Amino acid sequence: MRYVIIGNGVAGVTAADAMRRLDPEGSITFIARENFSPYCRPMISNILAGTAELDELPIRSDDYYDALGARALPGIEATGVDTGRREVATSNGTTVPYDRLLIASGADPRRIDAENLELENIFFMRTVQEVLGMVRALPDTEHALVLGGGLVGFKAAYGFLNRGKKVTMLIRSGYPLSFQVDETAGGIIQSELERYGLEVRTGVEVTAFEGDESGRVRGATLSDGTSMDCDIVVVGKGVFPARSYLGQEFQTGAGILVNDYLTTSVPDVWAAGDIAEHRDVARRRPWLNPIWPVAVEMGRVAGSNMAGHPMRYPGSLSRNVIRIFGIDVLTAGIVSPRESEGLRTVSHRDARRNTYRKLLLDDEGILVGFVLVNDIEQGGVLMNMVRDRRWLNGLAERALGPHFNVGQVIDTAYSSGGSPALVR
Amino acid sequence: MKQVIVHPERCVGCMQCMMACAAAHSKSETLFGALTEDPLPAPRIHVGAGPEDEGFPNRCRHCDPAPCQMGCLPGAIYRAKGTNTVLVDYDVCINCASCAMACPYGVIRYAEDPQAPPGKVVAVKCDNCVHRQARGEIPACVEMCKVGALTFEEPTAAMKRRTGEVAASFSLDREADRVPLAATWELQLEMKRRANALSGRDV
Repeated sequence: MRYVIIGNGVAGVTAADAMRRLDPEGSITFIARENFSPYCRPMISNILAGTAELDELPIRSDDYYDALGARALPGIEATGVDTGRREVATSNGTTVPYDRLLIASGADPRRIDAENLELENIFFMRTVQEVLGMVRALPDTEHALVLGGGLVGFKAAYGFLNRGKKVTMLIRSGYPLSFQVDETAGGIIQSELERYGLEVRTGVEVTAFEGDESGRVRGATLSDGTSMDCDIVVVGKGVFPARSYLGQEFQTGAGILVNDYLTTSVPDVWAAGDIAEHRDVARRRPWLNPIWPVAVEMGRVAGSNMAGHPMRYPGSLSRNVIRIFGIDVLTAGIVSPRESEGLRTVSHRDARRNTYRKLLLDDEGILVGFVLVNDIEQGGVLMNMVRDRRWLNGLAERALGPHFNVGQVIDTAYSSGGSPALVR
Repeated sequence: MKQVIVHPERCVGCMQCMMACAAAHSKSETLFGALTEDPLPAPRIHVGAGPEDEGFPNRCRHCDPAPCQMGCLPGAIYRAKGTNTVLVDYDVCINCASCAMACPYGVIRYAEDPQAPPGKVVAVKCDNCVHRQARGEIPACVEMCKVGALTFEEPTAAMKRRTGEVAASFSLDREADRVPLAATWELQLEMKRRANALSGRDV
């Protein structure tokens, strides 16, 4: 059996591990665009912030490919898939034949429409190579400009602030992380960052960048006609699935559509990770969740299925945990105001302990989303309740309190009288 | 292999397991020594309040596959070969709380630890007292528990005994012959309910 994996991110690597566990014989080939060995993408912002070193990034040992008995083609991009002849065309002109193919090519940063984007020190902060470039530019950096208040923009801003740089963030909506948190949590995060010197401006965008004679960015012109100085720029306007090399035979939504076994519409081709569009368990409809833990889950399921051991993927769930300076934020499922219409909401803000909790329940009393600010250690209990579609109705107020623990929800039947459910 | 088994229906909520656990994970491994240490050791077992305010002992289940291990960004969480124990490599841990987001039981905490690099906050969780077991001792929480809410035994044997108890609680012909699964548990719960009612607290 010839397995071919496009991408050596965590989805591809986890899939390969699962394949090898179940099939010691088959050949595994990675087609990897990046030269770096498999690494932890969410941690690249720690390199910028100075809270992690480069040697902490790899997620597998140095001899990973050899130990796995796999072949890696690093620095090579897949340029097409001939699903009839079952081969992958690559950027170095060769083709790689497959019996079973996994598409795990991830996502690319969304470009923006502004002049002079080719200037030096304008980054998208997607790869370790880019972050190393940012770190090299830091000594000459005084004022960083961050476009977008999503996770990338937010982590970039935090990184620069942690390095003592002045940061201006331009966001479209009223507060940072508007997809991940509600307005209250967004406000708490913003004021914490502002304490460390962040300047947030809403409702303006960059129309053009200006550079100096050496080609480095030195300033930006904004949509309101004003201009500002900056010597490094991070564009964090989200990502979109890297699927431009795939043909019409692949059914697509925002990403490549996959069924519960993570197979695409093409026989013997699976997809996993940021490119694969399955279903969100809270939203209960097709949804892309381009986040690390989902890529791990999908990789494991896809690899297992490809090696002949059927596993169903139960659906993904959007979630994030963020620690910045003195604030921890953990969120999952549906939380942003634009999605929470018609949901029952309970919340509690404890000013003394500086905590905030908000839970969102659907009309059946099922927990579909939550935000925790500080005191996040029970977040996994709630996250798993969202994923398992657990009923929380009568217990929602209790879950807002500081003493909430799994013992209060582990079996909602036994407190209603009758014999206790002891095997719990 | 013997495992710590939790019997929540026997817990009286005294929290002595937490104290013993913290002491067992201190530098001195004694309670009195632990009190003066910096950092103070953190307990790995947590006694929370259940729905009726009853004690609920909560510790790592060492799941397989372990969601915390799959969610760990830097790959600090691993399963120790042969001991069925999920452990954290404190040198690798970056205190990102991805494991807290993954753990269905909420048993991972973040603290400085005598075994971690000084000043570094790391993910702290139950390690099955592997250091005590290596010396032939049983886990500290089990040793301390006075009411049999924590036992250290073969899981298959415990499961078999429990299956028998469950069967005896409902399958005998005459109702009078049936053995209540946990009579003291019912009593304890009833006491908690009455106490809550007396104090006017609606639980």
